[in-house]
Amino acid sequence: MGNRGRRDCGEVVQMKVRLLILGCWFLSIVATGQVLRIAFDAADLKTLDPHYAAATMDRAVVDMVFNGLVRYKPGDITVIEPDLALSWEVSEDGLIWTFYLRPGVSVHPFPGMPDGYELTSEDVVFSLIKAADPQRSAYAGEYTGMKFEAVDKYTVKIVLPQPISSALFLPKVANYSGGFIVPKRAYEELGPRFATNPVGTGPFRFKEYSPAQKVVLVRNEHYFRGTPKLEGVEIWYMPDVTARLSALLTGEVHVIEGVREQAWVEAVKRYPQVIVDVFGPGETEVLHINMTKRPFTDLRVRQAVAYAIDRNELVTAIGPDVAEPLCAAVPPYLPGGLTCAEVAERGLLYDVDLAKARELLAEAGYPEGFEISAYITERASYRKPFENIQAQLARVGIKLNITVVDHSSFHSLIRQDANPLVHYEAWRPSADAFLTRFYHSASRVVVGTKPDTNFSHVTDIDGLIEAARYELDTEKQIALWKEAQIKLLEEMASYPLYILKFVFCRSKSVDYGYELKSSLALYPSINELTTLK
Amino acid sequence: MARYVIRRILVAFPTLLAVYTLVFLFIRVAPGDPAVAALGDYASAEAVQALRERMGLNTPLWVQYGATLLGYVRGDLGRSLITNISIGSQIAAVLPHTLELTFAGVLIGTIFGIPLGIIAAVHRNRLADYLSRVFSLAGISIPAFYLGILLILAFAVKLRWFPVMGAGDFSNPVENLRHLALPALALGIIMIAFVARMTRSCFLNVLREDYIRTARAKGLSERGVILLHSLRNALIPIAAVLGTQTALLIGDSVMTEIVFSRPGMGKLIVQAMLQRDYIALQSLIVVYASLVVVINLLTDLSYGVIDPRIRYE
Repeated sequence: MGNRGRRDCGEVVQMKVRLLILGCWFLSIVATGQVLRIAFDAADLKTLDPHYAAATMDRAVVDMVFNGLVRYKPGDITVIEPDLALSWEVSEDGLIWTFYLRPGVSVHPFPGMPDGYELTSEDVVFSLIKAADPQRSAYAGEYTGMKFEAVDKYTVKIVLPQPISSALFLPKVANYSGGFIVPKRAYEELGPRFATNPVGTGPFRFKEYSPAQKVVLVRNEHYFRGTPKLEGVEIWYMPDVTARLSALLTGEVHVIEGVREQAWVEAVKRYPQVIVDVFGPGETEVLHINMTKRPFTDLRVRQAVAYAIDRNELVTAIGPDVAEPLCAAVPPYLPGGLTCAEVAERGLLYDVDLAKARELLAEAGYPEGFEISAYITERASYRKPFENIQAQLARVGIKLNITVVDHSSFHSLIRQDANPLVHYEAWRPSADAFLTRFYHSASRVVVGTKPDTNFSHVTDIDGLIEAARYELDTEKQIALWKEAQIKLLEEMASYPLYILKFVFCRSKSVDYGYELKSSLALYPSINELTTLK
Repeated sequence: MARYVIRRILVAFPTLLAVYTLVFLFIRVAPGDPAVAALGDYASAEAVQALRERMGLNTPLWVQYGATLLGYVRGDLGRSLITNISIGSQIAAVLPHTLELTFAGVLIGTIFGIPLGIIAAVHRNRLADYLSRVFSLAGISIPAFYLGILLILAFAVKLRWFPVMGAGDFSNPVENLRHLALPALALGIIMIAFVARMTRSCFLNVLREDYIRTARAKGLSERGVILLHSLRNALIPIAAVLGTQTALLIGDSVMTEIVFSRPGMGKLIVQAMLQRDYIALQSLIVVYASLVVVINLLTDLSYGVIDPRIRYE
């Protein structure tokens, strides 16, 4: 080969190298361009401290930034699997739970520790103590009387005041509410700023917050389950649904919070580039009847209300894809929940029967019906069904006057016992939480020792709730929970209406990386497996 | 003029104090609890009580009133009860976007509204006048958020010329303008309608004045009569309307901010009100009132520029 040939060959090699570099650069551009944008129905965030985060848009960020000792399997909340703890065991007396932590878990970098540090039992104990402190946590009541101890660098011991079943205990240390682990040194370093600069161990770490616009997360390269496939996630606050859908259609966002109404779901399904996900666990919609307010002090009147309401009509109005009938206080997908078939077996379904409703009203001394007034929030998921109930009750002569107020006022007024009928939408993580918060005498609004959301003023199932809470035999525990709900239906303290599922839409380019059936974070969880094609 | 400005600024303080006092009282009279709003309904009663304590809501009202007022004197707008973020920093983050949007809307309104009003007045009761009046009526009648949605569907979803959401970064002027175009147009069209109606009305009054007849009698061209003699005299009431509308637009832009997912003062105010964030709401309203005071002052000062005969004593 002559000089010229050698030179040509060299130029070809150089060109190939250049092309290779260009190709790598292009690929890196493509790879780094994988930032998923998700838009929520919210004007802004409230708090990103996981021990306070309650609203969907806050839970979403927290879900991506933090871990629990255990976690709900992504996409399926009926399965609990290891998270920060590789394994755990419980003592024979059921009082001591020991968790063995995963070594080598990195805490995200934060001011003061730009390389982060390794999460240890010291952090876990600190976090659980914080979760149990009402001054620093909204969920302190879940941890009353518990003691936390770091046995060694990777072992944590939790001592309970009384043994409880794993179905009740594990959710307290899972990736939900107080169970999220807050790294000690980051929390101490950031102080009050932690609520808008969260630092955790999750697949994504906090980068920046633009008030009333967005939160930006970037991937945690050192995530213990492997580097996330996405480069980052942007959480946008977009309270207008038309704007969210428009942004999804133009590709400016990839996932949006939808509207929990059949008509909307069907309209969006027509767009070929969009996938609509309707998933659980959903929220229970229940009509609580205040048994201390006349005429609802009379069982016959409460039963008349039940016979006058047609829950299937409500489900049809909202849509069978997004709503399903609820026949008892605890939804059937939770251990201890009652299915409609089980309720029907006991003859407590209260199938709509207007003649019977009128007969009961006449027996109670209200042959012409009566008139009541109630507040309802302006939010459509409350207001629309309440207006439907208003029309249904009118058929038996019960005139329900509705005053629509803003959501904050509604929550305040119903906690002051202002309503004879309260339509309430809720999600609780266990049968115990549902029954305690809504039906334990201590939870009665205004007069309870721990006033909460017992709007019906139920007082006679405390024994069953407490017996179930401390029952370690799962079958017996479930039987007690079911018995409590049967009593509630017999005295018609509340009329269960339906379960309202969650609706999110995504571009076809989004693959969550798991099958989405249910999510406790109340949004389709974005994790290390999520990709954007 | 300096004395006039100082006097106006001094007069503004009692106004701002009255605004603060009214907001302080009204928001507390309304039902709703910021602690419940912050924590959500799953929080325990103890946690709600603890947060109320920490928020200072259990202290006597006069203490809360005085503490916030003292903060204002020191230049501290306080911290949000819900997010614990400094309200000053929140306002600093969103105010440029609000001012940008407002002034872009006013600019569009002025540039197109004044000529439209003049054309309508000059061609009174003719086709141009009718068209201008129909446009003005439609512009005033269509809510900004609805117009915003229509603009999004046409220019963002269908034509893909502009982005649907967000406010562009100020460091990237092109991107910033792309994000600004549609929301500014949504507000601008409404401003065009207001300004055109006002201009038409003022012009019709001015055109009947003796000095206009004199100018025409002197043989001045119609263009000269309109631009030299009529426009300047008609501008003072137009400037007054522009000032008022600019102030209103800052508050009214909330729906536009929501539809276009832009950060802004209006959005913060509504959010603070819905969440019963007393401290944030008080401070945001005081800042908003201060802006109104400043805009009114600038409007009054503009009269002197438009008509040099006006003196500030």
